[in-house]
Amino acid sequence: MEVDTIRSNNDNDNNNNMSITDMEVDNPEDLNGYYVASLIDELKHDDVQYRLNSVNKLPIIAEALGQDRTRDELIPFLHNDLIGDEDEVLLALAEQLPKLIDSVGGASNATCLLPPLESLAAVEESAVRDKAVWALCEIAKILSPEQLMENFILMMKRLSSCEWFTSRTSVAGLYAVIYKKCGPIQTELQNSFAQLIQDESPMVRRAAAKALSDFTEQMTPTEVLDISLPLFQKVATDDQDSVRLLAVEDMITIAKMITQEQKIEHLLPTFNTLASDSSWRVKYMIANKFVELAEAFGETIVRKQFISAYINLIKDSEAEVRTAAAGQISGKSKKEMKERKERKGLAHYIDKEAVIESLLPCVQELVNDNNEYTRAALAKEVSGLASIFGKEATPEHLLPIFLQLLRDDSPDVRLNVISKLDELNDVVGVESLSQSLLPAIMELSEENQWRIRLQIIEYMPVIARQLGENIFDAKLTELCMSWLQDKVYAIREAATVNLKNLAHVFGNSWTKKTAIPQILSMVHDENYIHRMTTLFALTEIAKVLSPDDIKEVIVPTVVSLSNDSIPNIRFNVAKSLEELIPLLQQGEQKSQEDEIIKNTMEPVLEKLSQDTDKDVRFFAQKALERDQMNKSQQQQTTTTTENPSSPEAKL
Amino acid sequence: MVDLDLDACLERLYKKQLLAECVLREICERTKELLMRESNVVHIRAPVTVVGDIHGQYYDLIEIFRIGGYCPDTNYLFLGDYVDRGLYSIETISLLTVLKLRYPERVQLVRGNHESRAVTQTYGFYTECMRKYGSQQVWQYFTDMFDFLTLSVVIDNSIFCVHGGLSPTIHVLDQIRIIDRFREIPHEGAMADLVWSDPDPDKEEFSISARGAGYTFGKLVVDRFLHLNNMDHILRAHQLCNAGYQVLFDDKLSTVWSAPNYCYRCGNLASILEVGVNGERFFNVFDAAPENDRNPQQAQLKENDPIDYFL
Repeated sequence: MEVDTIRSNNDNDNNNNMSITDMEVDNPEDLNGYYVASLIDELKHDDVQYRLNSVNKLPIIAEALGQDRTRDELIPFLHNDLIGDEDEVLLALAEQLPKLIDSVGGASNATCLLPPLESLAAVEESAVRDKAVWALCEIAKILSPEQLMENFILMMKRLSSCEWFTSRTSVAGLYAVIYKKCGPIQTELQNSFAQLIQDESPMVRRAAAKALSDFTEQMTPTEVLDISLPLFQKVATDDQDSVRLLAVEDMITIAKMITQEQKIEHLLPTFNTLASDSSWRVKYMIANKFVELAEAFGETIVRKQFISAYINLIKDSEAEVRTAAAGQISGKSKKEMKERKERKGLAHYIDKEAVIESLLPCVQELVNDNNEYTRAALAKEVSGLASIFGKEATPEHLLPIFLQLLRDDSPDVRLNVISKLDELNDVVGVESLSQSLLPAIMELSEENQWRIRLQIIEYMPVIARQLGENIFDAKLTELCMSWLQDKVYAIREAATVNLKNLAHVFGNSWTKKTAIPQILSMVHDENYIHRMTTLFALTEIAKVLSPDDIKEVIVPTVVSLSNDSIPNIRFNVAKSLEELIPLLQQGEQKSQEDEIIKNTMEPVLEKLSQDTDKDVRFFAQKALERDQMNKSQQQQTTTTTENPSSPEAKL
Repeated sequence: MVDLDLDACLERLYKKQLLAECVLREICERTKELLMRESNVVHIRAPVTVVGDIHGQYYDLIEIFRIGGYCPDTNYLFLGDYVDRGLYSIETISLLTVLKLRYPERVQLVRGNHESRAVTQTYGFYTECMRKYGSQQVWQYFTDMFDFLTLSVVIDNSIFCVHGGLSPTIHVLDQIRIIDRFREIPHEGAMADLVWSDPDPDKEEFSISARGAGYTFGKLVVDRFLHLNNMDHILRAHQLCNAGYQVLFDDKLSTVWSAPNYCYRCGNLASILEVGVNGERFFNVFDAAPENDRNPQQAQLKENDPIDYFL
């Protein structure tokens, strides 16, 4: 009965949509017996949401039951009753079981958690299996070698000998975590893993190939050569390309653990084979991980052996491969690397002459690639090359490429170049680019698709910083203003934010001399959209102006719009005043600011709060209330400094 | 009585989250009370942005707000057909209803032929309600509310707005005003015609419609109606337009269509019509929102492992 009361306190019984998180209470009630009883009950509820909620609270249930009952009743119940349940519930179960280690009495009793996970590791849904494998690894980490070699291994043997492939795919992921702790039986483990690599089902071979990396990392260098290497070779020569492509990751892991000579002798031939595999998917993996491979193999090998493979990838017939390869050229620029120490690009591994000699021709080919995604990937990388080439080599070698990309047909390509402008400017002055840059910007700003126009607007502050006020004013200020009248609202909004950002870059005098007059010219426009945009622009730009400027330039115009015939304008005046008042109050000439607030702005709000339109009244009243609240808070802080026990608290 | 926080509801709806069933019940109740006071011919003033059929294409509704401005800054008049066919009829109609409830002066909702029990059971809204809420309650709440939606709107005494078109039994606006609209859309009669009829540029008078409800009507009918009622233009939706809109009869009638790439495969453009205070009309054309391309499966259990791509 009590259980029913609790449930009906939480709204309708039939309300399947009620937020279950209503039940998540972080207070002592959690251990309330009735609450736990209802949770246990709901493990068998018809509605999956209730079952899911209870499973997610298993730690709470287990704590209330105590260790013995958890081991003897809860775990077997979970195993028997929930295994046929929906995937969502199973996934949650796998997630929660490792959290019950303490609830069952610690590591010595943790083996009782294995049976339900063993069943979960065999289900059809791969997400559940993966989570079960993770859970088993978590538990394995705290089990003793004896427990591992007894219970855990037996479980693994059962999984390996299952007829249906699902269990065998799961068991592959369990080797790495137990290997080091199971010294006596390591040979046995090596052999059974080898079986998985040669399993008849490609799904199992894939799982094993994926697990090989982690497994290898647990081995000694001798074992890597003797055990892991042959397995890797098998993966690399599998007849399924979906298995072969997994060899790439394994190769990286192995390369990091053996010597240079061993790499050349054992890995390089396989590398070359994979890099020219018949399946494009394998080549894609090589291309995609090229820099990681370079890191693992080391500079010497890269310089001597890798370049020709890379050039072939750049020229591959499949666009995906070319695109992946293009993305590896320069990685991040030196500047970004200094700041965040991210990976280097391929170009960082070979010396400058080699770059110019071998990479540059590749880049020049990619510029003319048929596929726009390839060109777009290239466009992102080329500016990174500038920092490698340096000030002398860049104009000669890279500039033509830049210019060509700026004139590309695809807007994405052009945008990618522009997005990296600051990197380029570090090396060559943007003036040399401005001839081509400006037409490119103008074209992009007139693109039909408004999202492309949006991206250009977002780069404007970057471009402004590179070009400087003079060039910018001459060519681009007009463009920025025209966006205020774009037919798409999102563009107009971005344009107002852009003006604020430009005000940041160029400073106060530019704002007052150039930006504000042009905004003000729209204030009497016939089209109410333009008047509205003026209002938004002024409010936005006020955020970077001094209170004096706000008082002089912004407030009068905003106030004048309070008589507009369109209610939408009037209630936005109220919203604007609500934002402007605190900005003014941050100033230092308190009396002057208070004066304008009291004599001009507040009366306007009072007037609007009596407007005929309901929404105008609402926003005006809201602004007045907030104003009052701020004032009384300020009063409180001043009176508290004088008299700590202030009687008034007008909140 | 549940206490309604409309702004909180809007916050959820803009994130495409469903509202609880009990919340929707309350919302629909209050909306009925609001709509009940509206005449069958609602008079509003420009500026207003007019929106045609949406048909459950939620992401495209958000796109409309990105293009035309958000409510309440922009006034909106929706011409019906909010549900059916698209994947997110519930999210769409929930958002529109709450907007109407929160900003009744800024939003007008007109009834379309899909705002009907019979049609929604065939074209998807009923099924979606069953799937997302597990019962037909939500469908009942909304279809009961649909009975209260107005049939027509007049902008500045000049532009007559309706979902479908004209009726042979309606010559003057007063005849619309006396209809008892608080019911399921009938198979025939004036109310049916208003939500089902189509213009026919090749005809002069009324003719049988291939839809099996309503009529087709031609230039003479339009001229007569506008003259008799002292108005300048008829604005309606109801028909797919490849370019997003269509203007007929010497600029006397326009169709505005606001569901781009209709049913996610027609490849058409869409538009919204911005009406200015001096009667200016601008069709703001747009394409489908990119969010529609996102695979709905990605939100679920599976992680998008690049290896899976190769399987």
